[in-house]
Amino acid sequence: MPRSKAHYWFVGPALFLMFVILLLPIGIASIMSFTNYSLGNSGAEFIGLENYEKIFTRSTYEKMFGATFRYVFVVVPLSVGLGLGAALLINSTKRFGDLYKTIYFLPVMAALIAMAIVWEFAFHPTIGIVNSTLERGCGTFLEVWGWYAHGCERGFPLWLTDRDYAIWTVAFIGVWQGFGFNMVLYLAGLTSVPRELYQAAEMDGAKSAWDRFRLVTWPMLGPTTVFVVTISFIRSFQVFDTVEAFYPQGGGPSKSVYVMMFAIYEKAIQQNLMGIGAAITVVFLAFVMFLTLVQRWLVERRVHYT
Amino acid sequence: MSDTTLSSSTAVGLPAFRFSAAETLKHVVLIFGSLIVLLPFYVMVSYSFKSPAEIMQNIGGFFGAQEAFRDDYCIKLGKDVADCMVTPVIYNYTTAFEKAPLIRYLLNGVIVTASIFFIQVLVALPCAYALAKLRFWGREAVFGLVLFCLLIPVHAIALPLYIMLAKVGLTNTYAALIIPWTISVFGIFLMRQFFMTVPDDLIDAARMDGMNEFSIIWNVMLPTAIPALLAFAIFSVVAHWNDYFWPRIVITGDRSLFTPPLGLREFKGDADGDNFGPMMATATIIVAPLIVAFLIAQRRFIEGITLSGMK
Repeated sequence: MPRSKAHYWFVGPALFLMFVILLLPIGIASIMSFTNYSLGNSGAEFIGLENYEKIFTRSTYEKMFGATFRYVFVVVPLSVGLGLGAALLINSTKRFGDLYKTIYFLPVMAALIAMAIVWEFAFHPTIGIVNSTLERGCGTFLEVWGWYAHGCERGFPLWLTDRDYAIWTVAFIGVWQGFGFNMVLYLAGLTSVPRELYQAAEMDGAKSAWDRFRLVTWPMLGPTTVFVVTISFIRSFQVFDTVEAFYPQGGGPSKSVYVMMFAIYEKAIQQNLMGIGAAITVVFLAFVMFLTLVQRWLVERRVHYT
Repeated sequence: MSDTTLSSSTAVGLPAFRFSAAETLKHVVLIFGSLIVLLPFYVMVSYSFKSPAEIMQNIGGFFGAQEAFRDDYCIKLGKDVADCMVTPVIYNYTTAFEKAPLIRYLLNGVIVTASIFFIQVLVALPCAYALAKLRFWGREAVFGLVLFCLLIPVHAIALPLYIMLAKVGLTNTYAALIIPWTISVFGIFLMRQFFMTVPDDLIDAARMDGMNEFSIIWNVMLPTAIPALLAFAIFSVVAHWNDYFWPRIVITGDRSLFTPPLGLREFKGDADGDNFGPMMATATIIVAPLIVAFLIAQRRFIEGITLSGMK
């Protein structure tokens, strides 16, 4: 069919850019991760696995993995769960569905760096709206809850500067920002569930809403869930904006918020330790690509790109 | 919108005006969620209206009293006190524009996001067309490579990209902000899937009419692909307007190259207590364009972002 060599011109630029911008950097990072390279130095020494050894033995990096995994394992289940919950609720109410959908999607559109700065004010211990709102609840039934009573007596937490709370507060913002995205994906998934299935399930004795969810909705949402979970993993692994906005000097109280993306930035860009930065990059890439491959494998048993 | 999924079985078949406990409960939950989601937006817009004193004491409701207050910086410049009385909302927004070259930042944002999208389309569209409609040796391999590249999160390879750009002396240029995003494998993938659905007859007819492959892409395929292209445009613009990580790495000194998120960050860096108002005004200005566009064309936006969730 090709009467010309046009396809070279069509595919060529894209191929070139793919190699230079996506594949070559992976190669460079892999090689550099075995060296002690730093920008500006003429040469670099080959130091073998030393960088990787550091990453897997030193306590700084232990904290890095700790912070990253804490963040990821809070944000992924909560943002997926809340996304699904919101989608189901919105799908089942008769009114205002579009309004809720719009509201919940707003954070996805807003620049996270801007919202991080706003949240920092909201969490401010003295002038922030969060603690002042909590204080208003003092003296009411809420004090039955031990944590709340303690807060009323001794003051509520310094959310962002207390090392026991910092990572969870940052994760909360991650959930706040991301669950609307998952909600939209689930809403799209729900529209593709055939109505007949519910009728069939009802005839087979699935009377309660829970039964219908368990027997029809949830299985039908399987592919959506695989996709949503993977996307959430990849996005939360890459958290950076909030961490850098709150803790420009590195990692938060006791390095409890020292996530991987920030570690790469700090080591390689700020401290010019390119070798170790490259090694973290490689580890990071391995995580993300592994997750995506698992997802591909799970989904491709149903879908084929033809 | 379908209302079958969870509608409580007691409500089925009953007149709509009947009070339903389940329905009410759902709205209570959804409204509570909305309040938490909207809280920072409320804080941001509200603080951008208020005077420093009102912010510090957390008074004044949403809009603040809008009572004129004394601008100390203006006094320092040696002006008359009477001339230095300012209305909070005006003070906050003018300071936002005066203290930093905010217009410049916004312009940079537009230049960078527009260039990225334009080049992405220029590169991706022909490639997608070739992968979907031309038969040539190595096509499957190229497509396989596209699928593989979909696995790579560009932010994760920021470090080697930064080194490459530094080596050729491109850091602190527009090029550094744009080049890493010129290739969108997702764009290629999306467009290819779309082109697959275009009938071959259409292309054959165009060839009969004597059109060459280039004009087929731009005159035949492009117009049919507008919906997909629009979805991709929304994704691309939202991602790059809001991006903070990459500009933070490659733009280190030159203020005149700052994108809006960087400009806001810098504002935060030297903000003392009195600058909360102007800072919130800056944040509002940066967040507003996309939010307003979203409110106007929600369906399109959600479509675009959902499609691009693939990335």
